[in-house]
Amino acid sequence: MKLFLAALILTMGTIPAEAQWLDWPTPGIPRTPDGKPNLKAPAPRGPDRKPDLSGVWNGPNVVARPDKDNVQSWVSDLARKYQQEYFKTRPYYQCRPSGPEAERFGGWKRFLQTPTAIAILNDDLTYRVIHMDGRKLEANPAPTWMGYSVGRWEGDTLVVDSVGFNDKTWTSRYGISHTEALRTTERYRRTDFGHLQVEVTYIDPTAYAKPWGFTENMALAADTEMLEAICEWSSDHWEGTVSDGPPVSVPPDVLARYVGAYSGIYGGNKRTIEVSLSSGQLMVKIVGAADIEGGLGTAGLDPDAAQPLVPRSQTLFEGLGLGFQFIVDDKGVPTDLVEIHISGPYKFPRQK
Amino acid sequence: MRLFLLAALALIVGTMPAAAQWLDRSWPGIPRTAAGKPDLTAPAPRGPDGKPDLTGVWNGPTPEPKLDPAIAQPWVNDLVRQRQQDYQKGRPSYRCLPSGPEADRFAGWKRILQTPTSIAILNDDLTYRVIFMDGRTLEANPAPSWMGFSVGRWDGDTLIVDSVGFNDKTWLSRYGQAHTEALRVRELYRRRDFGHLQVEVTFTDPAAYAKPWGLTADMALAADTEMLEAVCELSSDHWDGSIADAANGGVTVAPDVLARYVGVYSGLYLTNKRTIEVSLSGGQLIARIIGAAGVDGGEMRPLLPRSQTVFEGLGIGYRFIVDDKGEATDLVEIHISGDSRFARQR
Repeated sequence: MKLFLAALILTMGTIPAEAQWLDWPTPGIPRTPDGKPNLKAPAPRGPDRKPDLSGVWNGPNVVARPDKDNVQSWVSDLARKYQQEYFKTRPYYQCRPSGPEAERFGGWKRFLQTPTAIAILNDDLTYRVIHMDGRKLEANPAPTWMGYSVGRWEGDTLVVDSVGFNDKTWTSRYGISHTEALRTTERYRRTDFGHLQVEVTYIDPTAYAKPWGFTENMALAADTEMLEAICEWSSDHWEGTVSDGPPVSVPPDVLARYVGAYSGIYGGNKRTIEVSLSSGQLMVKIVGAADIEGGLGTAGLDPDAAQPLVPRSQTLFEGLGLGFQFIVDDKGVPTDLVEIHISGPYKFPRQK
Repeated sequence: MRLFLLAALALIVGTMPAAAQWLDRSWPGIPRTAAGKPDLTAPAPRGPDGKPDLTGVWNGPTPEPKLDPAIAQPWVNDLVRQRQQDYQKGRPSYRCLPSGPEADRFAGWKRILQTPTSIAILNDDLTYRVIFMDGRTLEANPAPSWMGFSVGRWDGDTLIVDSVGFNDKTWLSRYGQAHTEALRVRELYRRRDFGHLQVEVTFTDPAAYAKPWGLTADMALAADTEMLEAVCELSSDHWDGSIADAANGGVTVAPDVLARYVGVYSGLYLTNKRTIEVSLSGGQLIARIIGAAGVDGGEMRPLLPRSQTVFEGLGIGYRFIVDDKGEATDLVEIHISGDSRFARQR
């Protein structure tokens, strides 16, 4: 059976409604007169007067990919191949550590800071350690999933340098590879009690002509708790590729009727789905999706490129992990396009 | 192809270049003997609150759980038998899933980071636990999770950790002892000096065990070196075969040949003396390993023939070396790490 990315099943901790920890007031934090956490209070400092990054942090989905002209051709070739395979070899989908992948900087994490080491604990139960004891980076490190990290303070900015990554991880969910020579630099600033910013830079000349990166803004998740989100079902069993021959053929005049723009609200944001016809194949482009699911199910390396829709029936199509169902009137003219997600169907009326 | 099970267990352990600096790096600020070596018998360090500080990289041998099968409910023992038949392939760590409270997870490499409000235990398989020290009480109705919810408090110099909220997918031992979601775990940690940390673990789960049981794990500080990742990449999902399959594997060995293998073999495995007693029961060879408690609990294991001289027993291969009269002179245990030869004693 063909998959829709619905095959990605993450086991998220479902906590009973009466769970205490999710509502437990974090002790010892600054509060406003009405008792809420005062996220604008000054950042806490440790005995060494440096900012203390300890806490539970949460940030929006990271949408990051290198400029398509900045990657070596082998990287873009691989990205195209991974896109064809629905990104099924993404380490995260294989229940493997995400390592330095940009998207790992989003979501939930807990920082624990001691004078000699900082641990970053991710909700997928992986972690990193940043050594603060003055050691130098390994000159000839063994490749690992999480790399070797050393940190130092530049004023109130924590600067973290890392090396020693294996080449099994990606730097972006869009199938962007890196080599074992990858180096990353992170600059962390806790601007106040409730906000932590990190600027991440990837340096890997055999993969990218120039360093590239992104900035992520995290907010303190006060008065609540982080829950486990463990990958239990690897993508090993996913099958099918985008280019597997369509088992269904749809006459050109039917396809032509589906061409148009459909739009509506998804995840609180306006989304427009532009359907076009190119060389006898329906193409789809989703506008306004990047900030919702990081482009999941849409573009690969090139966010502006339209993606093919592969017919599964006269009205049902598949495109990069999402299902698309055209709703037609009695003349066969589509009135709506339904996007089929793991979380359910979303209906977008035709605009033109 | 049938597997010799241990060979199928591919844990990717970081192999460090010889030039790696961190593995030979002298830790700054730790007590040292006159010879410059870490002074592991110096007093344990203490934090600003005067309590022992457990921070450090620790390593320890596999603890042997003290479990009398008689206290386990029948459903637990049934599961243990069934899992043994399946080469324990459903063990979470073989499936690249977290080990949760499993006894063996108290062995091996870990890093402990202690702050005033929480303690993190980071395992070399890239899983971790957090023990909350900020005064919160245990969840009354916790959601099942892989690592549980843990709160700690100090009783003198002993750290007492209570945990609840485990899912029932993890095991309490590598032998397949199951538990329910009602499992409670208590750990007593004592860092008696700079170089030694002991933990006493008690599992309480009346629906599975009539009485609490547990283990004691002794860890030593791994000073002047570094912990490496050991990440499971190849799940046991693709293992196939069971002991019952193997028993029907088609190779038969004549009873008089089997009888010639009966005896006692012994030698060194790693640095421990190991004795293997081979007996015959119901026409089948049975092996019992003595001195390998940490490895297999001294259990009896049927030896299933793969050829006239090669047998398979719970994931380890056994080859009898015979003289020109067909009498066994040695028994070779075939491990993933290589062969170990045990000379016949009688």
